[in-house]
Amino acid sequence: MVEALLHPLGIFILGLGGGFLIPLLYRIAKPLPAIAFFLALAGMVAISGSRLWALYNGGATIEILTAGFLPPATINLRFGPWEGFFAFSANVIGLLGAWQLWSRLRESYAALLLFLILIMGINGMVMTRDLFNQFVFLEIVSVATYGLLALGRTPAALAASFKYIMATVLASTFFLIGTVLLYYVTGILNIDDLIEHRELIGGPIGTTALILVLSCLLIELKPFPANGWGLDVYETAPSGIAALVSVGVSAGVFFALFKLLPLFEGQLGIIAISGGATFLFSNLGGLKQSKVQRLLGYSSIAQMGLLMMAMALLERLGAQASLPMVVGGLFINHLFAKAGLFWLAGAVGHEQIDDWATRRRPLVLVFALLLIAISGLPPFPGFWAKWELVMQLAASEQYGWIAVVLGGSLLEAAYMFRWFRQATRASSVRSAEPGAGRLVPAAICVIVLGIAGYFAASTANAASAWLLAPVVAGGAIFLLDWLPGRIKCAILIVTVLVVGAWMCWDVQGLSRLFAALLLPGALVIASAGFYRRDIRSGFYPLMAIMLLAIAGVFRASTSLEFFFNWELITLASYFLVAQGRNANPHTLSFLLFSLVSAFFLLAGFAVAANANGTTDLAALGKAGRDAGPAFALLAIGLLIKAGAIGVHVWLPDAYAEADDDFSAMLSAVVSKVAIFGLFVVTYLAIRSEVGLDLAHLMGWIGLLTTLAGALMALQQDDMKRMLAYSSMSQLGYIITAIALMSHLGWVTALYLVANHLIVKGILFLAAAAVILRTGTRLLSESGGLARQMPLTFAVAVMALISMSGLPPLAGFGGKWLLLNAMIGKGWYWLAVLGVAATFVGFLYMFRLAYVVFLGSPKAKAAETREAPLQLLLPQFVLVAAILALTFFPKALMEPVSMVIDPYFASTLVWQGMSLETIYGYWNPIPVMAATTAVAAVLFVVFWLIYKARRARTGRSEVERFYAFYKPVLGAFVPPLAILFWKGTSIATTGVADAVRRIYTGNAQTYALYILHYVIILYVIGIYGGNLLNWVR
Amino acid sequence: MNLPVSHILLATGFALSLIGLWGMLTQRNILRIIIGFSLIDTGLHIVMVATGYITGGTAPIFDRALKVSDATIRAVDPVPASLAVTAIVIGFSVTAIMLAFAIRLYDAKKTLSVDALTESKW
Repeated sequence: MVEALLHPLGIFILGLGGGFLIPLLYRIAKPLPAIAFFLALAGMVAISGSRLWALYNGGATIEILTAGFLPPATINLRFGPWEGFFAFSANVIGLLGAWQLWSRLRESYAALLLFLILIMGINGMVMTRDLFNQFVFLEIVSVATYGLLALGRTPAALAASFKYIMATVLASTFFLIGTVLLYYVTGILNIDDLIEHRELIGGPIGTTALILVLSCLLIELKPFPANGWGLDVYETAPSGIAALVSVGVSAGVFFALFKLLPLFEGQLGIIAISGGATFLFSNLGGLKQSKVQRLLGYSSIAQMGLLMMAMALLERLGAQASLPMVVGGLFINHLFAKAGLFWLAGAVGHEQIDDWATRRRPLVLVFALLLIAISGLPPFPGFWAKWELVMQLAASEQYGWIAVVLGGSLLEAAYMFRWFRQATRASSVRSAEPGAGRLVPAAICVIVLGIAGYFAASTANAASAWLLAPVVAGGAIFLLDWLPGRIKCAILIVTVLVVGAWMCWDVQGLSRLFAALLLPGALVIASAGFYRRDIRSGFYPLMAIMLLAIAGVFRASTSLEFFFNWELITLASYFLVAQGRNANPHTLSFLLFSLVSAFFLLAGFAVAANANGTTDLAALGKAGRDAGPAFALLAIGLLIKAGAIGVHVWLPDAYAEADDDFSAMLSAVVSKVAIFGLFVVTYLAIRSEVGLDLAHLMGWIGLLTTLAGALMALQQDDMKRMLAYSSMSQLGYIITAIALMSHLGWVTALYLVANHLIVKGILFLAAAAVILRTGTRLLSESGGLARQMPLTFAVAVMALISMSGLPPLAGFGGKWLLLNAMIGKGWYWLAVLGVAATFVGFLYMFRLAYVVFLGSPKAKAAETREAPLQLLLPQFVLVAAILALTFFPKALMEPVSMVIDPYFASTLVWQGMSLETIYGYWNPIPVMAATTAVAAVLFVVFWLIYKARRARTGRSEVERFYAFYKPVLGAFVPPLAILFWKGTSIATTGVADAVRRIYTGNAQTYALYILHYVIILYVIGIYGGNLLNWVR
Repeated sequence: MNLPVSHILLATGFALSLIGLWGMLTQRNILRIIIGFSLIDTGLHIVMVATGYITGGTAPIFDRALKVSDATIRAVDPVPASLAVTAIVIGFSVTAIMLAFAIRLYDAKKTLSVDALTESKW
């Protein structure tokens, strides 16, 4: 009984029956149509859901026969796993969409009827196995869509609808003629029979017919450039209708293409190319959009292009096993994320992006999560799908396609998050906020996406308790977000301590060492959060996600796990930076550079996985000679994130504008994750010949970064920006040390990691204290605080000495080891560069300490008090760590050396000195004397030059000294990188503007594009088959 | 000249469709565009019927005059005709909807020129 009630045929009975009943019920009583409407929709969801569940549990595919005959005498339908997945998803969207659109739908029962018929039609497009029936359902969907489009009353909406109708009637005409001609040639309309007797479709008529059918399906999916009519409807239709067209109708059409794909074996190349071009150019055009729904339209079209491309490529490469993960994942990701975004746009109701201005938590949260999903970031299904797609493409060495996937994704993220930046900017004008009830359908989309993400992770064999821990912990703390900030800070510390320890307890080797350094360091710095009295909503959940994802990076044993956590860190740190009061304008470049970095990593991991045959991280160490490209890609990605010279432009703004205590976390802890990554991938280079040259290059990049960072730090008047450049500069040393690829180099690198972690933690926290007490970040407005803030002064000086590498504190050991290692390797020029950089480092560090604490007191200096204990305590702990590192270097060196030894046991570049010998080598007194002497001589030289040509101003001698040298040294670092990236950005948006000009808005131009598209498809489809053989 | 009627029909049908397509692409008046679509559709219906035709064939009704074994040689294929009937119904409803939009567009803009539909672009 229940079985019969839940038969898939019931979907059509509900759709058609409901459709006929609604006008009748309307005559009887006004509320009845609405009840029947929702019952019918819910029934469709229930039927497709229960059948899909049965299939998931091993049930058999349901073959639906009609009229008591067997096919091909009658039409038959099928409800298998694929059909069930698409139908159920579309029905859920239908139900949620009806909820969202209710205020419009209730206006007339005709709208209810059309909506019901539309959803039924989509089910039909998915389930039917008859080609002509496919056409009928396509037309049912089209006619219902046209009717619903009429709900848009504005002239622009009517005009766009007419263009849409013109385009789609042309497309369906192609389908009709194609179907008829196929029947003429083969005598078959049944799809299964057609596929089985594929060889019958031949000759000019058969091939033409096939291409016409394909043309219709592709055009309905809105390929570039024959898609302007789609964009116009997305822009002007009521958001609920636009959502339905974008995800519902497209789902039906896409599935039709998917099931007919075996017929198009010869056209897979052109489908892939058309999809790829659509993905790339639509996302490019999206960059210049200023209207929300048109922006979403560009993204919709792009996503369908990606789906087309992924499906055709996997089919062509024989990777059908990946179809569920890639096509299923991308499909459900687009379906729910895009529908949710359209609904959100409808709920907020502002046409222009610039009118969006909100900081209301539920709205921002749903908005952000949907954007994360649509950009293919974890933990949502799009992430897993893109990973699998890139892996499969790399396995067949389709590197050009990988570039298309990643390039298009980057563009999409750029305009999506630009929208987010606009919407969350600080604005005096607050837009009208939708009620929480109107957000519910979009919020349900987020929940569905989360569940789908979990399923995708299980399918990828990656779902494990520890991998989910960051997201779960963050979500749990988010539920407590109403608590006072300090309580949440305590909860955060306990959570990270317990969960982080649980995650990293068993890790070994380098990962264990990093975990032991970074996690306690992160907790100490996080405890500075106690100094903030406010509630800091959202801050602690994000912090938990970020810190636990860092633990996850150490725990990761496959590149997928590494990359998942890496992306989580990127996202969490992006949103944390965005919490800074003035951070808004700078967040986008932070995110985009992080994403570029991540995409390089993804490509690198894919190439490495292809070379090694596994995604195991341990396999990187056993990579063969052809690992050079993988190393290059991975190293580029990591260097971007480490802020290497040229790609550092995101770093100073983010560090400077983040919350003061979060800047400390970014510089001290988060930056080290990139360093950890460099260690991991550098194994690759050790094994491959080409890698060693690349490593030398990396050494140069490192020290140039150091020098440029130091020179730019000297230019800054803002103390946080100075520290940001200083951080960049110090990371340069570490990069060089890793590039040495010797035992000593690596010991040094780890030593520097520990030192920089401690030192920058102290300095940023000290800066936070000064800003808290004086209210300014500018050096020109601070001075003479040593008396008022003696403890802060003392710890800052300790940190500066240790960072500068002056004896006797820990930093000295690091610098000395580095120079020693470089000379040992014969990198003399680099050593000279290192000494020069160290000297410039002295200059800015001395300036920082002198101006803030010693220089002439400024206006309110006298009233300033010492920093609060909450800020001082973490600094004291870190100072204690400096002292420990100084007096008991062995405590660090021994585990460090133990960890490194195995990697160099066989390929020891350095002559195998034992640990004791290193310390024996390290005779501090003469070295200390020599270093001090060099520094002193340099300083005297500089002083003499300055004395000889000094400018006369009324400031103190030291200030005048800096005023003299700032412009001189600044000439060495023209803002080339900033100019370059600005130029790139302007050029890209310029191209984007040129691309979108093809959409003239004229209906007949659009129709002509369609005609041209079909003709090109025809010519390439028939004559160009061989041209596309490079898509293997 | 012994030209089968189906060929004449095919030629006529395709010619009508092409005229319709030309009309859709060149005529500025929305009503003429709709007429263009109607011509495409009608032309296609003629083509559909023509593809099923067999010269000298009879109606596909099995009786004394037509044995089942002769069906493929002597009977006109009924499937394209039935498809054409369905397609006519669909074409009818699509044309009706297009005309309804034309009315609304005229109400909104007081013109039937397709050039007035360019509010949204780029």
